[in-house]
Amino acid sequence: MKFLIAIGSKEYSGPTLELGMRVAKAFNAAVDIVYVGDKISAFSTSEVILAQENLENWELDRQGVDVLQWAFEYLVENKYIHSESDGGEFNTDKLVQTDDDRCEVHLEGRMTQEVGLILRNGDIIQQLRDEVKRSNIDVTIIGASKKRRMIHDLIQYIDSSIFVVKNYDRDRDYKLLLAVNDAPNTKKALKYGVRVAEAFELDVNAITISDSKEFRSDYRNASKWADKFLRRAGVDHSVNLVHGKFISLMNETAGDDHIIVMGNSTKSPLTKFFTGSKPLTVCEECNCPALIVK
Amino acid sequence: MLGFSNQTIADLLYWVTRKKWLIAAFAISIFLFYIPSPETLSPEGHRTLIIVVIALILIIGEVIPLPAVAILILILEVVFGIDTPNGVATSFMSDAVFFIMGSLMMAVAIVSQGLDKRLALGIIKLTGNKTWRIVFGFVAISSILSSFIGEHTVAAMMLPVALTLIRNTSDDQKAVHRLSTILLFSIAYGCAMGSIGTPSGGGRNVIMIGYISEFGLGNISYLEWIKYAYPMLLLEIPIAVALLWMTFKPEQRILDSAVRKLKVKVTKAGEMTGNQMMAIGIFILVFLGWVFLSPYLGLGIVALIGVFLYLSFGLIEWQDINRNTNWGVILLFGAAISLGIQMKETGAAEWVATQSINGMSMVIDDLGFMQWFISVFLTGILTNFLSNAATVAVLGPVVLDMGGNPIILGISTSIASAFAYLTIVASPTCMIIHSSGLVKSSDYLKAGWKLFVISIILLFLISNLYWPYLS
Repeated sequence: MKFLIAIGSKEYSGPTLELGMRVAKAFNAAVDIVYVGDKISAFSTSEVILAQENLENWELDRQGVDVLQWAFEYLVENKYIHSESDGGEFNTDKLVQTDDDRCEVHLEGRMTQEVGLILRNGDIIQQLRDEVKRSNIDVTIIGASKKRRMIHDLIQYIDSSIFVVKNYDRDRDYKLLLAVNDAPNTKKALKYGVRVAEAFELDVNAITISDSKEFRSDYRNASKWADKFLRRAGVDHSVNLVHGKFISLMNETAGDDHIIVMGNSTKSPLTKFFTGSKPLTVCEECNCPALIVK
Repeated sequence: MLGFSNQTIADLLYWVTRKKWLIAAFAISIFLFYIPSPETLSPEGHRTLIIVVIALILIIGEVIPLPAVAILILILEVVFGIDTPNGVATSFMSDAVFFIMGSLMMAVAIVSQGLDKRLALGIIKLTGNKTWRIVFGFVAISSILSSFIGEHTVAAMMLPVALTLIRNTSDDQKAVHRLSTILLFSIAYGCAMGSIGTPSGGGRNVIMIGYISEFGLGNISYLEWIKYAYPMLLLEIPIAVALLWMTFKPEQRILDSAVRKLKVKVTKAGEMTGNQMMAIGIFILVFLGWVFLSPYLGLGIVALIGVFLYLSFGLIEWQDINRNTNWGVILLFGAAISLGIQMKETGAAEWVATQSINGMSMVIDDLGFMQWFISVFLTGILTNFLSNAATVAVLGPVVLDMGGNPIILGISTSIASAFAYLTIVASPTCMIIHSSGLVKSSDYLKAGWKLFVISIILLFLISNLYWPYLS
């Protein structure tokens, strides 16, 4: 498996990097950590590249290298990578320009597979889309954005599972909240959820929410299957069938001390574009990390 | 849905959301194509204006690559029957395009010589370690240098000097935010202000000189332009310094340790090398060529002679020039100039000029002021969203068809296109300082709007009180 962790700054991306690396470790996945810098106007591309190349003559780093350096230091400090050959220092000379708007360096992983540090420039959705396609990414991990459109675009247009890290605090005791229904993505969400729960030693709350008081047999069967799956996996769990409004119940149950895992909606992209979807609303409204499995 | 997978529909939706301006451009152009031409506008003029609308939307939206916009302009000029293929090809290549090509190539050659370290030493020797003196030095040196060698060349050379000072002051970006902002804006605004000083300061100046000459409205020599524009440049330097200082009062008033570290760093560069002296010598030759030979050879050909010399003396490799020259921009400026010429020839420029004056006559009585205001204000606004050279290429023919003194209106327009202070995308220099990651987009407006307004007032005073004595 391969994970992509998008980071933006030292100040705000700490929780995203920490949670992302811990989850990647749980899956024993290869990891790419990407920093996406601002889009450069087409009128100025060559001029900006010329200025950035000139900075190298002064041994000054371009925008974003300091953020990758900080990520590198985090990886060394937490023993995610072997860094003996570089003496624990981030060597910017090893950043290889692979495209006009992309450069990368690969590091040997210790607790995960290979770790790549990538610097990109441009529209963030376009750049993440390109990176996901280029490296066959399974899960993209990113910090929460205040822009509603951003979460929509991530879930709608990025062809991988999306983990939105919102309000994560390493000192808080978390539980895992699994949203279970009859949708095809639920089974994959359960598998992902179990891996995360095992790695973080979390209790799992598998919740099935119905709009009406009468539970459809599909929902009941899904809940039973989840119960069986979690029991076989040996995870401490509870299974609940509740009725009410999906979003308000999820929000209420999750609070700020759950990690939500749920399958992506199977509605048509056109419908999702105009009317939204449950995963999108969960990511927007809930005040905790949420993994949307595709 | 219709047998398409969800992934295909999602990809299609993504394309539509990202290309909405492309779709809008074509929808608007189809609508404009089928509405009848106004009585006072020829059908060719009508179709030329449709191309202008499409080009503006596509350039501002940046939804397709710039070379694609350039190619589309040329195709539509022929397909719409505005000119013959040979006519379009002739209008596409001009001395102004040669100049833009030559100056972009020379920028690569000059920046790669490592002269910036000498420049840094020179500035620090002049200014000492007081922050306000350094800011003054940055604005003044950036302005004066960019008036001769082009703004982005100077910005690329000055950026490392500023960043070295900032990083030697503190590693904590928050602690030096205002210092970073004032130093970086000193470069960006200094370069923008300087680019008005001589014709070689920016491609747009050469485009305007080309239009004035091509439309038979007069000839402006290199030195004549300096007489018109340089006083404005010199007056703007202290104004810009004062505005920047009042807007971003830096945390550190003295940069003692940072200046010392910078001196140590640049002193390591050693004595000036033979190549550096040769590079300066070639540029002096090019400058003399612009002053004395451009009436016979053209500014563009003189710039290309400079490139030829840099390449022939081995001061730069062709691969480096090829890699760092924005060929897409050159194509686009060629196409924009071609479009400007078609606007003039089809009467579209005159029609837009007349409509603008009629529209504004309800608000302003004085015809002379109205002509000046429309050209300067419209150019000033458009240049902050479009490239300044593209702005002049498109608006130039309109301005020159407004009546009044074409030299005053033409130079005013060209100077106003340098008032690119308000947005990141306004000019390559704004983009270069933004790429450092140390200035926020809101910072551009903070000082930019004040400088924008003061520049317009200053231009009004100079063009009314000083320029009439030159004609």
